[in-house]
Amino acid sequence: MIDKRLALACLLLATATPLHAHLLKVFAFAEGERIEGRAYFAGGARAKGAAVEVLAPDGRVLAALRTDDDGEFSYQANAAIDHRIRVDSGDGHVAEWTVPATELEIAAPAAGDPDRPAAPTESTPEATPAETAAASVPATESPGDLEVLIERAVARQVRPLREQLVAYEEQVRLHDILGGLGYILGLAGLAAWWQASRRRGR
Amino acid sequence: MSARLLAERAPIAHIPDGVLAAPVLVTGAVVTAGAVLVGLRQLDYERIPQAAVLAAAFFVASLIAVPLGPSSVHLLLNGLMGLVLGWAAAPAILVALALQAVFFGFGGLLVLGVNTMNMAVPALVCAALFRAPLRRHPGRGAFLIGAGAGALGVLLTGVLIAVALAASGSALAPAAKIILLTYLPLALVEAVVTGAAVTFLGRVAPEILCPPEATGHDR
Repeated sequence: MIDKRLALACLLLATATPLHAHLLKVFAFAEGERIEGRAYFAGGARAKGAAVEVLAPDGRVLAALRTDDDGEFSYQANAAIDHRIRVDSGDGHVAEWTVPATELEIAAPAAGDPDRPAAPTESTPEATPAETAAASVPATESPGDLEVLIERAVARQVRPLREQLVAYEEQVRLHDILGGLGYILGLAGLAAWWQASRRRGR
Repeated sequence: MSARLLAERAPIAHIPDGVLAAPVLVTGAVVTAGAVLVGLRQLDYERIPQAAVLAAAFFVASLIAVPLGPSSVHLLLNGLMGLVLGWAAAPAILVALALQAVFFGFGGLLVLGVNTMNMAVPALVCAALFRAPLRRHPGRGAFLIGAGAGALGVLLTGVLIAVALAASGSALAPAAKIILLTYLPLALVEAVVTGAAVTFLGRVAPEILCPPEATGHDR
């Protein structure tokens, strides 16, 4: 009887596509200063109209957004800090994602962060006006811009790849299932052994 | 909530970490610990394989999405577990949920107590309500008894999840309504499956449903 049930379970397992049933997922990547992301239910359905909170590392809410009809959202970052994205679809599904500060390209350090005092930037006493002028005029400015442009282009090109990687990582694979079943088998064995030793002791 | 929004939502069975308030988490952990302790005491030699097989079925069932209209559901099987295992359903559900959290990312480890409570308490209610009638008339009306247990197990789980969410903050109260609505179709599917499973067991291995010794001590 148990064999039949196991066979049935295996059959169902073989025919069902392995997927993360009903799990809310979110990912977000930085493109320049913008954080673009998407929330979806594993299995493909987009999470429309879900509440999105953008949080600073200290838990401050930087922005409260909603996903659009494609489950997408975007946020203009204005500080080079880690951004924690928390999506709540309103029925108990919650998902989180962190965009590290290193992904964001924000020109002025913390320009938009009101908590931080204006950082002493270019006008350091060591640099004479002549030097800074010489350094910043055409020689450095255009390569810097080029670098930003290249980084943005690469980020855009790499994004589908990263999305694929995230989807791949989320997939439940056969070894997950077998691992779980193995644990159950092992625990049953442990329980049987304990019962047997107790019975012998009696 | 619009019907469109509802249709796209699958019923939530595993509450993730970071949603529930601390008192709810503690309540869940305490209730679960108590039920698991009692369950382990009642888990005698003959029940261990059954508990393991049902825990395995429960563990895997969460992966098998049954398409139902625009949405899809997965079976919970807690009514069946309650019928077959009685109190021993609690440790079996705890083990299966812990493994689902670790391997599949369903739910979380902090909410394990609440999630186990939400599935195990309905299983115990089903055991209390349906085991005696099943034993009295083995074979007759087995499908109906099984269907009742399946539907009740799922609906009670829905109610408990809704209560856990509602107790964790007023913002989650609308979610409770959605959950109850999404659980109705699941209860139907679960009723049919559990009814069929109980009928099958009654025909093939009736001793699983009505163990000769109800107390379950060494025979």
